Amino acid sequence: MNKKNVIWWTGIINPDHNEKYGGFEYMEYSRKSWEFWCKRNNCEFVTFTEPIEQDLKRFRVNWQKALFVFDELEKRNIEYDQICLVDSSAIVKWNTPNFFELTERKFCGLRDTDNMNWTYESIKGYQKFFDFKLDTTKYINSGFIIFNEIHKNVLESFKRLYYDNIDMFCDLQDNIVKKGTEQTPLNYWLQINSVDIKTDLPLPFKLTHLHRKDMFSYNWQLKEDNTPFFIKYGYIWFFNGIPKDQRSKIMKDTWNHIKHNYDDKYTNVHNILNEVDHKDTAKYTTSRKFKKDILDIFYNDKYKDATILELGTSQGQSTKMLSRIFKHVYTVEWDDWNIEQAKKRCTDRDNITFIKFDLYGKKWELPKADVVFIDAGHEYKHVISDINNVVDHLDNPIFIFDDYGLPPGEVRKAVDEKVTEGVLKLNKFIGELPEDLVHAGGTQFIDKEGCICNLR
Amino acid sequence: MKNIVFLMNIKLNDSAGRYTPERSLPYEYSIKSWKRWCDKNDVELFTLENLIVPMDEMAICWQRYYLFDILEANDIDYDQILMVDSDTIVHPECPNFFEMTDHKYTGVHNEGSYDWVLRSIENYSKHIFQGRELKWWNYINGGFQIVNKNHKDLFSAMISLHNNNKENFVYMQDTYHTGTDQTPINFMLQINDIETKILPYEYNMMDMPRKEILNENLTMTRVGWVYHFNCIPNNKDNQATLYWMKRTYEELYEN
Repeated sequence: MNKKNVIWWTGIINPDHNEKYGGFEYMEYSRKSWEFWCKRNNCEFVTFTEPIEQDLKRFRVNWQKALFVFDELEKRNIEYDQICLVDSSAIVKWNTPNFFELTERKFCGLRDTDNMNWTYESIKGYQKFFDFKLDTTKYINSGFIIFNEIHKNVLESFKRLYYDNIDMFCDLQDNIVKKGTEQTPLNYWLQINSVDIKTDLPLPFKLTHLHRKDMFSYNWQLKEDNTPFFIKYGYIWFFNGIPKDQRSKIMKDTWNHIKHNYDDKYTNVHNILNEVDHKDTAKYTTSRKFKKDILDIFYNDKYKDATILELGTSQGQSTKMLSRIFKHVYTVEWDDWNIEQAKKRCTDRDNITFIKFDLYGKKWELPKADVVFIDAGHEYKHVISDINNVVDHLDNPIFIFDDYGLPPGEVRKAVDEKVTEGVLKLNKFIGELPEDLVHAGGTQFIDKEGCICNLR
Repeated sequence: MKNIVFLMNIKLNDSAGRYTPERSLPYEYSIKSWKRWCDKNDVELFTLENLIVPMDEMAICWQRYYLFDILEANDIDYDQILMVDSDTIVHPECPNFFEMTDHKYTGVHNEGSYDWVLRSIENYSKHIFQGRELKWWNYINGGFQIVNKNHKDLFSAMISLHNNNKENFVYMQDTYHTGTDQTPINFMLQINDIETKILPYEYNMMDMPRKEILNENLTMTRVGWVYHFNCIPNNKDNQATLYWMKRTYEELYEN
């Protein structure tokens, strides 16, 4: 059975709301982004574009997306693992990490704390009907929820609840409460049925009400980067909480700014990761997450013509992956057997130069590159020597360090020292946390697996 | 050993500057509310009335990191301490959050203007913290922090950080206006891998106008527990703060 994680994307056009929404052009930008993300993360993109119930006043689109999700997946013979229900007002950033890996297989939702007066009124409005005291700290936005087969029963019973009380729900929704559609009833139903709701996905995955959060802005004080904050720091951007008739324009402007990152040629991440080994089975390489993080950062148009210098080829697992990202890889190793193994592994690649060189015994004579991957000697003196040589011989490269948290901490000591001295700027930790790293050799790391730095 | 609520109630006569005498008028409502809550929950209230060092040497907010020295100088033994801003009011029925900390450094994520938060992080990163990155989604507000004896070294490090970079901090505060101690404590927490516990927004409800709950119905009192009266627009000499804190206190404690 080929069970994939599914993005259940709702894009039903209600012609009666055409004026209110200023058209539905915005959906295409959302759709393109999610299609790309699914390809890149080996997920199934499933659209919900034709209503099951045709009366869209009694069966609002928001109700239908939740009521019929399991019916539709089964009708279409889609084998699903986890399902992410997402609204078409959301654009996902091209390199968003795979959030299905963060769910602990619980029902996941994003806390809705944007307009708390609205949520308060909505919760109060439905309280009498449900006769239940809702835990408001678990109140979630229904525009992005993740669930799986164990939640089928609760959504099936939610459907029965709606059909059994449809007149009451329509009256509450359209005449009495007038605060939302299915969101608050769904919250009540989940809590009444004691569903364990995980609400702590990191904020970058749930950037709602961008305007209210002042996230269309950028750092106008430093004037070093005018990328809007939501693009720079967020993963999933919900274009809600703004006048609905402006949504298409704002999403179009956003899309035009970023669309070059969604090139199909960068969707091959899953296959690239599968063609090499990782730390859990091969101790002389990095973890799968480390490689995925590198792909998320570098596998795009910005770096397609860049070159990388890898210090420490080992057996060529990372080398092969790097050759999929960069225009050319110069990889340096002193051990003949390692070079032989690496060459065998990379026979199908024509953009790798293998260099046999003793990094610590000779005058530095290596090619220049835009990025350097430091993974050779792991003693403090070796790492310091590598950094000094790179600083002296390369022009403003990006540094990737492996084994930052390798005990007893020599790599970390060297990197930290250079950061404290003001030589390097630590940009990002990558790879696994020590508690999550599975090492084929059994080594327990004492800090994060790796990091990325720039020259100051 | 008791838990402590620690508030700063420092009255300054800086008529020309930020700290006018009027600024501290609303704080009496804060202190009274916390006193009531402390009595109910067998917690001790400690208010600091005087500066530890002159303000031109260290901004007021920074001085709270002398906390452990202050308590020890006053012969106060303690288990956990909440350092809370004096522009807050606590609901009388607020659950005892000391029981929710797992004995970790505890705070509430700073929801509000991320333009301010992210600029502050980037500015301090560039000028003080060697370009380090911060997990901004774990960034806490400085106005509600629960600590215990395990955090003494961290606070000493904060004071040293300040004193070793005094001119830099003054430059940061005067040039960028993106806060005083709040962003530095967040960097220090993450750099030093301090285990933290994040409580829900309801325990430090900052920037309430942005969430549309600071209104004539006092909606905030129905949706959460600790009201933080910051980021209020049109607030000359803290007059709006005084209005809302007085109203809130009277609603919760005198009706």
